[in-house]
Amino acid sequence: MSDLAALVVQQSVNGLYLGCLYVMVALGLTLIYGVLNQINFAHADFVTVGAFTAFFVSARLAGRALGLPDTAAYLLSVVAALGAGALLGLLINVAVFAPLRERGGELRPLIATIGVSVLLENGQLALFGPIPFQFDSPFSRQTIRLGPIFFTAQSLLVVLMAAASIGALYAFLRLSTLGKALRAVALDRETAGLMGINPGLLIGLTIVISSALAGMAGALLGPVLVLTPFAGASVVVKAFAIVVIGGFGNLEGTILAGILVGIVEAFTVQYLGSGLIDLVVFGLLLVMLAVRPTGLIAERREENV
Amino acid sequence: MKLRMGAAVLVVALLPLVLQTPYWRGILVLCAMNVLLALSLNLVLGYAGQLNLGQSAFFAIGAYVSALLVKNAGWNFWLAAAAAVAAAGALGLVLAAFAARLRGHYLAIASLGFAVITYQVLVNWESVTEGVRGIYGILPPPGFGSQLALFYLVAGIAVVVYAVLDNLVRSPVGDTLRAIREDEVSAASLGIGAAKWKAFAFGVGAAIAGLAGCFYPGFVGTLVPDAFNFVESFSMLAMVVVGGMGTMAGPVAGAILLTFLPELLRGVGEVRLIVYGLALTLAVLFLPGGIVQAWTALRRAR
Repeated sequence: MSDLAALVVQQSVNGLYLGCLYVMVALGLTLIYGVLNQINFAHADFVTVGAFTAFFVSARLAGRALGLPDTAAYLLSVVAALGAGALLGLLINVAVFAPLRERGGELRPLIATIGVSVLLENGQLALFGPIPFQFDSPFSRQTIRLGPIFFTAQSLLVVLMAAASIGALYAFLRLSTLGKALRAVALDRETAGLMGINPGLLIGLTIVISSALAGMAGALLGPVLVLTPFAGASVVVKAFAIVVIGGFGNLEGTILAGILVGIVEAFTVQYLGSGLIDLVVFGLLLVMLAVRPTGLIAERREENV
Repeated sequence: MKLRMGAAVLVVALLPLVLQTPYWRGILVLCAMNVLLALSLNLVLGYAGQLNLGQSAFFAIGAYVSALLVKNAGWNFWLAAAAAVAAAGALGLVLAAFAARLRGHYLAIASLGFAVITYQVLVNWESVTEGVRGIYGILPPPGFGSQLALFYLVAGIAVVVYAVLDNLVRSPVGDTLRAIREDEVSAASLGIGAAKWKAFAFGVGAAIAGLAGCFYPGFVGTLVPDAFNFVESFSMLAMVVVGGMGTMAGPVAGAILLTFLPELLRGVGEVRLIVYGLALTLAVLFLPGGIVQAWTALRRAR
């Protein structure tokens, strides 16, 4: 393999890994949009809360108090982050989405979640301070080598977890009765209600699933990012871009766009410098909005009335 | 109306006599700037009904263009300010081009992207903006060196802007914007070209935010990109929503409350954004009409 080809493959691998992280964050956003036609702006901060939960569980609790080995402690922390995300999802549904659903309007819930986001971010800032935490994953220390290509066990774990989450989500939506009911609610909430489906319950479930994914993504992102209260915000603005590029509410589009943005980011770092990532990603977003606002995979036409 | 306006002008004129320390006078200048910013966002969000999360970008353009023209090109401040306002307004029209095609959530994300891109340009275009190192030693507008004078200047401009906007929203233009806010399709059936009027609202709103931006660098003395992070758009959003969007008095009340409240709570710690987040969430949930709604309810109860 020539040096250039090796470099391209290496950066594509890096991009795939980043893309998988973004997909896990973006899937929740797109899922909520698909079922609820709402954006949860605080999704970012669920990622951060997940990352901090994982940090404290793996570094403080599991390692020291329970005496677990490193790898088990980290995996436990991923589960804890998932739970923290699910809990936050439950709370935001009860506090914001459910009460505002009856009153209607599309902007109010969005504005309320912006408030929750600012509150969570700065609450964590008050708790943890702006100095980054050193969050080590035992998997980051192991390097896997395939010919000229290198990657860490952490990136393999991320790709596997992303694949597993996507697989589980699809199996749930396509195969289980609950998943079918959920798709029915997404399609037409009122009719689904007439068929004996409780839309409120399923909307709550969607938000909990999405938030749990965000929390888990936080645990996986923690060792990669600089862990500060602003960690999630930096990822989620990209996740918003991904959701729009992929088409709001479109799962396949979101997965495709997430991996695309990951790869674009990897090559931007290689050729233009890491400072320009946000510029390139949001440039892509604005071009996409100007050219093809329905997203990469146009599933349905935009409604006119 | 004239009476109320006169009373407001009197209060503005007398306030610095009550708050005499440099600290509080600084807060007063900031408050006047925030009133301008809240008014600018309210025209787009409150009247035209477009959720614009990119207002911090226009504030940034006003600040950077005016400061750089004075510092590097040696322009007269007022000429530079006029150019900065025009630049911000022009950029507002660019965002309006997106708003013409996108609605609701899409516009929110696009405008947020707009703010992120502007911020990143300020950080990365180091040869012009000095990047994160920032620009230092920026002088206040000539003749307005003291905080007292600067406050009277910015507050005076805010009063004029308020009066102009107040007339605007009570004119047929205001009705047109409200029609677009309530239902774009119905508005179109009445012969209202939404794209044109959205462009008008975005352009004017951006120009006002740019105008506020012109006074910021001279007030602080330094200019760093972090002052224009997209979170600042959320601060403006909080002022408009907490005050009462789609009213003229609301954003003014919201800006005043959210400027002074964090200062009064300073003993508890750095709570500015916590207060904003909490106020924004609670207002949407329990007081959707903001302070104005509470005020009218109180007056009715009496």
